[in-house]
Amino acid sequence: MSEIGTSVRHPDAEEKVSGGLIYGSDYSLPGMLYGLILRSPHPHAKIKAINIDEARKLTGVKAVVTGSDYDFPLFSVAGVKNVDDRLLAKEKVRFIGDEVAAVASVDLETAAEAIKKIHVEYEPLPAVFEPEEAMKNDSVLVHEKVKNNIVNKIEIRHGNIQKAFSQSDAVVEASFETPIVHQSYLEPQSAVANWDAHGRLTMWLSTQSPKLAQMTYASALGLPLDKIRIVQLPMGGAFGGKLEYKLHPICALLARETGLPVKMVNTRKDEFLAGVPRLPMKIWMKAGCRKDGTFLAKQTEIIANCGAYVNYSQGIQLSATTRHDNLYRLKNIETDSYLVYTNTIPKGCFRGFGCPQSFFAFESIIDMLAGEIGMDPSEFRLKNASQKGDKTPHGWHLGSCGLSEAIVASTKVADWKNKRRSLPKKKTAGKAYGIGMACCLHVSGNRAFLPFFDGAASYVRIDEEGRVMVSVGEPDLGQGSRSTFALIASHELGIPVAQVTVSRVDTDLSPHGLGTFGDRSTTITGSAVRNAAIDARNMIAEAVADELNTVPEEILFREGFVVSKRDPQKRLLFAEAAKTCSFKKAGETVLGKGHFIPPGVTMVDPETKVGNISCAYPFVAQVAEVEVNLRTGEVKVLSFWAAHDLGKTMNPIMAEGQVHGAIAQGIGFALMEEIPLKNGKTIYNTFKQYKVPRATNMPTIRALFIESNDPIGPYGAKGLAEPALTPVAPAIANAIFHATGLRLTKLPMTPGRVKQHLARFPI
Amino acid sequence: MNKKERVKITVNGSTFESLVSRRKSLVDFLREDLYLTGTKKGCGTGDCGSCVVLVNGEARTSCNLPAYRANGTEIVTIEGIATGRRLSPLQEAFVESGAIQCGFCTPGMVMEATAFLKQNPSPSENEIREAISGHICRCTGYVKIVEAIFMASQNITTDD
Repeated sequence: MSEIGTSVRHPDAEEKVSGGLIYGSDYSLPGMLYGLILRSPHPHAKIKAINIDEARKLTGVKAVVTGSDYDFPLFSVAGVKNVDDRLLAKEKVRFIGDEVAAVASVDLETAAEAIKKIHVEYEPLPAVFEPEEAMKNDSVLVHEKVKNNIVNKIEIRHGNIQKAFSQSDAVVEASFETPIVHQSYLEPQSAVANWDAHGRLTMWLSTQSPKLAQMTYASALGLPLDKIRIVQLPMGGAFGGKLEYKLHPICALLARETGLPVKMVNTRKDEFLAGVPRLPMKIWMKAGCRKDGTFLAKQTEIIANCGAYVNYSQGIQLSATTRHDNLYRLKNIETDSYLVYTNTIPKGCFRGFGCPQSFFAFESIIDMLAGEIGMDPSEFRLKNASQKGDKTPHGWHLGSCGLSEAIVASTKVADWKNKRRSLPKKKTAGKAYGIGMACCLHVSGNRAFLPFFDGAASYVRIDEEGRVMVSVGEPDLGQGSRSTFALIASHELGIPVAQVTVSRVDTDLSPHGLGTFGDRSTTITGSAVRNAAIDARNMIAEAVADELNTVPEEILFREGFVVSKRDPQKRLLFAEAAKTCSFKKAGETVLGKGHFIPPGVTMVDPETKVGNISCAYPFVAQVAEVEVNLRTGEVKVLSFWAAHDLGKTMNPIMAEGQVHGAIAQGIGFALMEEIPLKNGKTIYNTFKQYKVPRATNMPTIRALFIESNDPIGPYGAKGLAEPALTPVAPAIANAIFHATGLRLTKLPMTPGRVKQHLARFPI
Repeated sequence: MNKKERVKITVNGSTFESLVSRRKSLVDFLREDLYLTGTKKGCGTGDCGSCVVLVNGEARTSCNLPAYRANGTEIVTIEGIATGRRLSPLQEAFVESGAIQCGFCTPGMVMEATAFLKQNPSPSENEIREAISGHICRCTGYVKIVEAIFMASQNITTDD
């Protein structure tokens, strides 16, 4: 019996709950040193001189390295052509937190002392922090070669925007702003590095993509790829933030200099100062519709502040600029989008990849449009919702689409119609109540920005005892992808899921995998695991056909047996069959190989950005009910109803967990989280200052799953984790509007900001 | 200067005598000197709860407690909760209810809830939420953690 669709616990649950699992930051090697980084205190400055003599002399200090000691090449993250970063700053620093020097010592205390004894002479330069300032002709340049600090401009033109606006009965517009927010994975970034006698580097990392890390660190260190081995260790959360990170290759450099293993772990302060937080955006949006609710036109300007180095911001910008255009049947689109350098912390990936920002604006505008023509916002969305079979303006083929079902399901369980009428009347004791909704879509693997290839590969290895080991290139971030892969292999091999182990990633042993991001694991890697399991199954069938007096094609794998289809009396235990197969080939392990190339998927056109970037698109509709305290401005989220078209629910308990966690992160983004900068300096260092949702901030959540059975995803499955976060902030903003009539357009919607609005527009 | 102190600390029933720097926190002492890496370090400022251990039976963060100040105390860490390989009912409940994703907050949550359920064996949902409000979980939205603690409280009550 297949266990797909039943709740399977995380394979590491027992080890995690008893403290036995070794995470990246727990890992140690005998005799290892500890490393620390000296960071720039200036947002923009020339490095005139660095004196490391005193630091070097401290007892216990084994190495002090600076950028001027080496001739490291410029590099960026995998696949990004705009190489603008260096392992350690040379000549110039570009943000407060930029890596200037590093120390390795026998213990952390000595390393900290050595850091204090490195004397850097800076010549401060004028700096620029706001992208609008940076785009001016007379602005300071963050990178000399980039005119107006504009790293990338995207222009989208579809249909006839002027005509569509002139035909509109209602037109609305607003400016939105989203802050810098940190992934706040609970385990800080860490690395352990060691070199062998042949000059080969091994790094033990908690990373979402060992392969991309290997590629990027090879170019940062100027090494051939085969000189680096990455061993992935379990990670305490990632959420997009644990792709490439400079701490890792700096750790490798210190290990090379000292000839000893070195360990580095970020402090939480390092995380806020020089992590890779979410790309902040300023978004102006204008939209028009007919009075019957037909959505006609949308015009947008996006200005995204990528900070000092580009990292993955170009891909994030593209995602923010284009994805939301595919949610409704919209034909007339005009967008100008700018990615701008400033002397601020570089930004990176965070669950949603640009969508939490753009959908905040877009789904707020949708409610404003519906309000303008007096239409229920859920009706407006239903009327315009994309449907299965649609080809969108950006060239997306929607092979499955459960958007309408999700809207209907979420509003139904939320008692939407009744609450839209009754809640605004409930205003009592200085509190107002409202209900709001928002939708989104996402990808299941994104072809838009990694040039190498698309798809994934897997090995399924079966030993003579019938134990199954699955290898993939996509690490489990804690979301439980290993349980999904085990489910898939067990389903195809007809054995209990407990008989399957999924290994962690090791670049020496695992297939070349791009890694875990863009909601690609279940759909892309899951399909590869399925194909590898089928390959292994065929090998066994071939080997035991004679014994079962049949042909390989007539053999079934079910309930732990390998069975003749015609004569079910003829059967072997799965383990016996695996042994026969192995022994027939002198002990060769059964090794199934498989890969999956998502069909119909293309890179985007470099100019128009049109391209079917994914093989399957998940859809979401979420409804939020809020209470607004009219005296304090505090917004309390009371309930969430979240309907997710994930194609097929592979593992319900884990799927629910994804939705719950995403809603928590979305509430943080909506109401609490922000890293404010003061003259380019991150003024928050701790979780006391940077507030993330606690157990006491959480509403009741009801997760609903719509199974639209995608024609390409394995067993119909699509992505889930990222789009679960995207609609949270606009759903809350729309609920606040419903409660108070106040349209909040700047995140986070803190009590202070709500109070300001209330003071200006008393209700 | 880096002054050292002699300490005698009992951890999970075993007594350790050691010289520790006055600057070393209890969490670093547990993780680096005793190799008990089950206690996690998420923030270093006492704000995330991932390093919570029991000090003389009371749950407290170990990152903002210097190790020498724990001289003479009895510490229980996550490694001391199971009996051999048998998980405690609370640990079982965490596993069963899917309260564990990345698992980095789990040891601190289990330690906090272990102490809490001793004081309040049949808490309400809101009391559980209050009890773990010093802890950050970034994966689960706390839903299944609260369920697990509630489930464990029911089991413990019936067992007694």
